Amino acid sequence: MTPLIEMRNVTKAYRGVPALSNVTFDLRLNEIHGLVGENGAGKSTLTKIMVGVTEATSGNMLLDGKPVSFKTPAEALRHGVTMVFQETSLVPSMTVAQNLYLGDEKLFNRLRGIYIAAQTFLNSMNFSVDPWATVSTLGAAKKQMVEIARAVRQNARVIIFDEPTASLTPEEKYYFFSLMKNLKKRGVSIVFISHALEEALQHADRISILRDGELVVTDNASNFDRDKIIRAMVGRTLSNELYNRKATEGAPRRAGAKVLSVKNLSMGKIVRNNSFTIYAGQITGVFGLIGSGRTETAKIISGIVKRDFFYGGEVRLFGKPVRYRVPRPSVRDGIVYVTEDRKLEGFFETMSIAENLQVGTLAADSIGANMVVRMSQVQELATRWTKALNVRAINSNARVIELSGGNQQKVVIAKSLVQKPKLIIFDEPTRGVDVGAIAEIHQFINRLADEGIAVVVISSYLPEVINLSDRILVYRAGRVVEEFSPAEATEERIMYAAVH
Amino acid sequence: MIGALSRAFDRFRGSGDAAVTIPSMDGAFRPNHKLDTASAVLEIAAPDNIGYDGRRILFTSDSALFELKLSTDPAAERIAEYEHPLASLDVHPGGAIALGLASGGITLRGGDHDGRRLDTVEGRPILCPTAVRFIDAGTLLVCLGSQRNDPTQWTRDLLDGNSSGSVWRLDIKSGKGTCLADRLAWPNGVIVPAQGRVVIAEAWRHQLIELAGGRGRPLLSDIPGYPARIAPATNGYLLAIFAPRSQLVEFVLREPRFRQRMMREVDPRFWVAPSLHHALDYREPLQSGAIKQLGELKPWAPSRSYGLIAGLDYGFDPIISFHSRADGKRHGITSCIEADGRILATSKGGNLILGVEPAREEGPVP
Repeated sequence: MTPLIEMRNVTKAYRGVPALSNVTFDLRLNEIHGLVGENGAGKSTLTKIMVGVTEATSGNMLLDGKPVSFKTPAEALRHGVTMVFQETSLVPSMTVAQNLYLGDEKLFNRLRGIYIAAQTFLNSMNFSVDPWATVSTLGAAKKQMVEIARAVRQNARVIIFDEPTASLTPEEKYYFFSLMKNLKKRGVSIVFISHALEEALQHADRISILRDGELVVTDNASNFDRDKIIRAMVGRTLSNELYNRKATEGAPRRAGAKVLSVKNLSMGKIVRNNSFTIYAGQITGVFGLIGSGRTETAKIISGIVKRDFFYGGEVRLFGKPVRYRVPRPSVRDGIVYVTEDRKLEGFFETMSIAENLQVGTLAADSIGANMVVRMSQVQELATRWTKALNVRAINSNARVIELSGGNQQKVVIAKSLVQKPKLIIFDEPTRGVDVGAIAEIHQFINRLADEGIAVVVISSYLPEVINLSDRILVYRAGRVVEEFSPAEATEERIMYAAVH
Repeated sequence: MIGALSRAFDRFRGSGDAAVTIPSMDGAFRPNHKLDTASAVLEIAAPDNIGYDGRRILFTSDSALFELKLSTDPAAERIAEYEHPLASLDVHPGGAIALGLASGGITLRGGDHDGRRLDTVEGRPILCPTAVRFIDAGTLLVCLGSQRNDPTQWTRDLLDGNSSGSVWRLDIKSGKGTCLADRLAWPNGVIVPAQGRVVIAEAWRHQLIELAGGRGRPLLSDIPGYPARIAPATNGYLLAIFAPRSQLVEFVLREPRFRQRMMREVDPRFWVAPSLHHALDYREPLQSGAIKQLGELKPWAPSRSYGLIAGLDYGFDPIISFHSRADGKRHGITSCIEADGRILATSKGGNLILGVEPAREEGPVP
């Protein structure tokens, strides 16, 4: 049978450096094809060539057996090939309905008709998104839903999903995979890029693995297991390092001194009467569905958002009541929040690694302390931290936007650590990060706890929460509802507590 | 002036002292059923003040002093009976026993000062001896919980908002004493962790403090209950916590007019206040109704009684705890010791002496 899309000996080089070398890939009709590999393996480059975002240096692409070469994404879409990007391409100031019909407007649009059609369409896909809502007000998961709905509405025959589940909760993931199966039934072929290997194993028909710009293997998903994929991806097995507590750490750490005590914290309907304690020298894992108030609680603690003015509860840091109106004083008191949205809130993408780290120190120092900065000091700081965190970059003057996801995340972590935290809150520290970098980040988080720092890790990935944490707090409806020790925690128990 | 304004503003917005918050029971205080599943060593009415001198385990029940005989069939042997209820006890390895009487005064039994009675210290009557501890065979540390109420009136003292307690070092022979600290809010437990150090459990302020130079330095604050006696353990200390804190009680403590009227007009059994025992009467406030969540019975209203022992390390940081929860009956743990390879605790509310055997994986403490 002729493949729907075939890439033959495709090479793509940037300034002579190959990002893809001689890759041959095919997508069959009615197939879900998992594409996996470390950051920088060439997955995005390959798929971008398929949808006309970039052109191949050499090699051919065939659609329905006929050679094609798309110059723009619009041209690819006319041929039924589209891509849902990790960073959504929606217009934030427009409504959901307007985004769905963007580029497909008639001369005289009847807005009410668009909204009704959008509502019907979203309902048919079981997406609970308000078509009247402005996109900027939506969370990452709902933006993703709108992006998927737009691709489906445009009658695409091939949809490429780039890390579609990175920002989804387990429940939303369940809906997403049901949708993917429905699309398949409707005759849509899917390329599915994911760092979550279980998802690829479970939902893909075939899997292709890229490493350093080369295709390592393509085979039926049933012929793979987790270890085999990781071996192919990184050339060694990391399973034990990542998600096997006994192999790495053994018994959970004992609690040290009480660092943070949160009592009856409230913020509108999002955080409601929330109480918990954080101890030094321990990793406290936090799990909850999106909207359960875990990120908002972390942001209140670190002064990014404010709790209720009346009866907002109490936060004590080392026994002293604190109420931050802006993040700066919290940073100076030793609280650091590592954001879940690194691209928007984590770094200045056009600035270098060194400049970003220097910005981190500015927040921790008193005003005026760094009026004059020596560039040699900045460089020395950057060199030290890039080495400590194994940030792979040409040098410390490399712009952060040029780094892979894992290395960007390391820069965000380094930017927080230069602030000398006593309490560090990681919000989704390994989202959109490849397995190699995940292992390094986990090791680093463990090292921080071993050094006596109070560490909080908020994660939507249950194996990560279970295996990294010394104690696990579960959020539901704006508050901590359960606490588990790693020994008694199972994915089922945690999920049950988070949902019921 | 600024402080008064700040307090008024706090009352207006419900922040600071007016936040009416209580610490969560998580981390080392994570609830479990270890007291509910512990073995019942002995059934006896309102046991209190358990002590161990290395040979004998002694405890009190109302006005009687008992020795606990541990064997296949544990029993209590009555050693002495007093005219008034016994409020505190300590035993010295040399054989001396110090007993605080609820009516006031301290009496010594056995040892060099057998029969010695101390009723005053530096001209002040010894009232409300909530805890006693031998520093050596001739010196005692005494916690006087209150100048206004006797030990049986502890709920009244809490609701009155008293802080008239004090801690004294007493020379048994001469009867002379030194006040180590005063204006304490119901000092209810004392321990000497090292030569020259004194640590006190201050119940109404929910903290352990170390006394130095007449002042208290908090070692463990914001305890989620009212602390009682402290005892040494293999690798740290054991702290008995006799009742839980609840937002309801904290709220009532902030409402003087309501509180005074309640104390004037309502039978003390039905006051909104912590209690040593489980609800036994339908007229008790807000104890009925519960939901079951993850197999746990969670009451609608905060429980007034609870059973809790905390294991502390040498830095007085909690590392483990043993609970009897809202649906349990082994409440009101007033004292505990480590003996016979396990923890022996008096559940005054549950009329039991409990034997808790920590799981091996929980480590050597306690």
